[in-house]
Amino acid sequence: MQSQKSFADSLMAELRPRLREARKSWDLIRTNYTAMAGLFMVVFMVAVALLAPVLAPPTPFTDPLEIPRDWRFANPIPPGAEGHVFGTGTNGLDMFYGVIWGARTTLVSSLFVVLVSAIIGLAIGAVAGFYGGWIDEALMRITDVFLSLPALILAMAITSVLTRSLNNIMLALIIVWWPGYARLMRGQVLIIRESIYVEAARSIGARTSRILFRHIVPNSLSPLVVNVTLDLGAVALTMAGLSFIGFGVPSGFAEWGRMVSDGQLWMPPIMVIYNGVEYNAWWTWAIPGLFILIFTMGFSLLGDGLRDILDPRTRR
Amino acid sequence: MRMYQFVIRRLFLLIPVLIGVSIIVFALTRFTGDPGAAYINPKMSESQIQQVYAKYHFDQPAINQYWYWLNGLFQGDWGWSTSADQPVTKAIGEKFAATFELAAVSMVIAIIVGIALGTTAAVKRNKPFDHVTRVVSLIGVSLPIFVLGLLLLYVFSFNLGWFPDGGRYSNTYIFEAGGVPRMTGFVLIDSLLVGNYGLFSNAVWHMVLPAIALAFASIAIITRIMRNSMLEVLGLDFVKTARAKGVPESAVIRRHARKNALIPTTTVIGLVFGGMLGGAVLTESIFRWNGLGRWSAQAVMGQDIASIMGFVLLTAIIYVIVNLIVDVLYAYLDPRVRLE
Repeated sequence: MQSQKSFADSLMAELRPRLREARKSWDLIRTNYTAMAGLFMVVFMVAVALLAPVLAPPTPFTDPLEIPRDWRFANPIPPGAEGHVFGTGTNGLDMFYGVIWGARTTLVSSLFVVLVSAIIGLAIGAVAGFYGGWIDEALMRITDVFLSLPALILAMAITSVLTRSLNNIMLALIIVWWPGYARLMRGQVLIIRESIYVEAARSIGARTSRILFRHIVPNSLSPLVVNVTLDLGAVALTMAGLSFIGFGVPSGFAEWGRMVSDGQLWMPPIMVIYNGVEYNAWWTWAIPGLFILIFTMGFSLLGDGLRDILDPRTRR
Repeated sequence: MRMYQFVIRRLFLLIPVLIGVSIIVFALTRFTGDPGAAYINPKMSESQIQQVYAKYHFDQPAINQYWYWLNGLFQGDWGWSTSADQPVTKAIGEKFAATFELAAVSMVIAIIVGIALGTTAAVKRNKPFDHVTRVVSLIGVSLPIFVLGLLLLYVFSFNLGWFPDGGRYSNTYIFEAGGVPRMTGFVLIDSLLVGNYGLFSNAVWHMVLPAIALAFASIAIITRIMRNSMLEVLGLDFVKTARAKGVPESAVIRRHARKNALIPTTTVIGLVFGGMLGGAVLTESIFRWNGLGRWSAQAVMGQDIASIMGFVLLTAIIYVIVNLIVDVLYAYLDPRVRLE
């Protein structure tokens, strides 16, 4: 009993300053209206992704990421017609279903890409920065090579030799994105390694692994958090670009870039006729395009806000 | 360190990077089923095909193969582009100018507009102009370039009819007496050289939308950096001194502040240029611009590995050289960089 109570006490003692910091962070976000706008967009996208099965129920026994088709219409029909909220695309692709489930595709895959790259980059950057010497030199020359190619083009090169699938796009993007994190982490470690508290830990005889994981890694996380947030948007943008060119998912898959690429067929001067009225089928490309914009903008605003909030200079 | 020492040092650092890039590209070509397929074209006879296999030694260990592949590259043998139906090097030669022309115009637009917007936004900090600029640059970095391209086409070409819907010039010029001149490959320059001003204005007219689409994201990035570094410089002592001794405000901003704020801005130009190379793939596809980007996008559709790898190798070389130039420029502008 006694030991349990003291455990709870020590837990609270450990948590209290963290809670205080968390509240302070929240206050800083709340008063930063651009960060708030970003947070709203991000929450909206996450909600859409989570609630996809409720918002747009999939047909049983089919892949939910396969957009259902209204086969009665080969040409697009306008938003609102025949129960299609955002209209349809080529061969009756339901745009509403597509953008809703597309949120899930984009959120899950960009989260996966960014988190895996961040973990790889964190490990490599921490090792390079902490040990220095030839290990550092070798690892940094490798990151140089990867950073010497524009992101979209390196990803294009990698995906071009793999089979076309979402998983391979994600693999390519991880290969493209980790070096940035490795660089960032290394820079952080180099600064923190020289700080007084690391010196203090070393002088009382702390083990290397303790210094690394207990002092250096946690203290270098805040710029990493900012970059993860910003990169979620950037990865989504690059991924949409890749699927727009034709890498990755086939037509009819709930992915925004692919949907824009399919919708592009219906740019004017091609007109579609529904119920005797002529339309420019702008909804086929503009609606998925708008969703990409909201997604990227949300993470970009939130990331900028977080940078201001986590910066100790603006904090105190 | 002296300037030339700095340049030489940076040139040396390029070597491992380029070797690394070549290893990546080489490894990717060996990932496909038959690496020889990249060199074979339909017109080759059986014995010529045998020669290809003999030349590149696909049966030998990877390290030897890499050597033969590298030799081939230096001899100008970059493989056969099935999507352009000609050797890769020839296709690059024909399409390079189109892409370079578009990228150069976009770059100039991005630098001029970005610096102007960034400077003004910093001077009018927290005024409506600053807020509007911030929103526009936010859209610039968040809107996919292909959606922007489609939007520009939809509004300014199809609905308003102000600009053409793609291509580098109207087809009528191809059939005109003399046709389209091809000297440097840059239509804007060639048309002026032969004095065909109709073609020149036609080419400019065709370039407006794709150049805006390609420049937009870069304008956003340059504006942001310029605004931030301008704000930093405006708070420095020498600016206060200039104001205190009665230098007119416009001169303080132009001569004292902006000049110094430009230095950090140069560093992003390399980055922005890399984004443009990637953006060219998307922009050219949308505006039917017959350059490297559209060609590589077509290569993707046709599983044309030789062309894709040729494009990647070329962009890597260009990107590395541009970054070198930017570094040297930065060191020239800011002597502190050279001292370490």
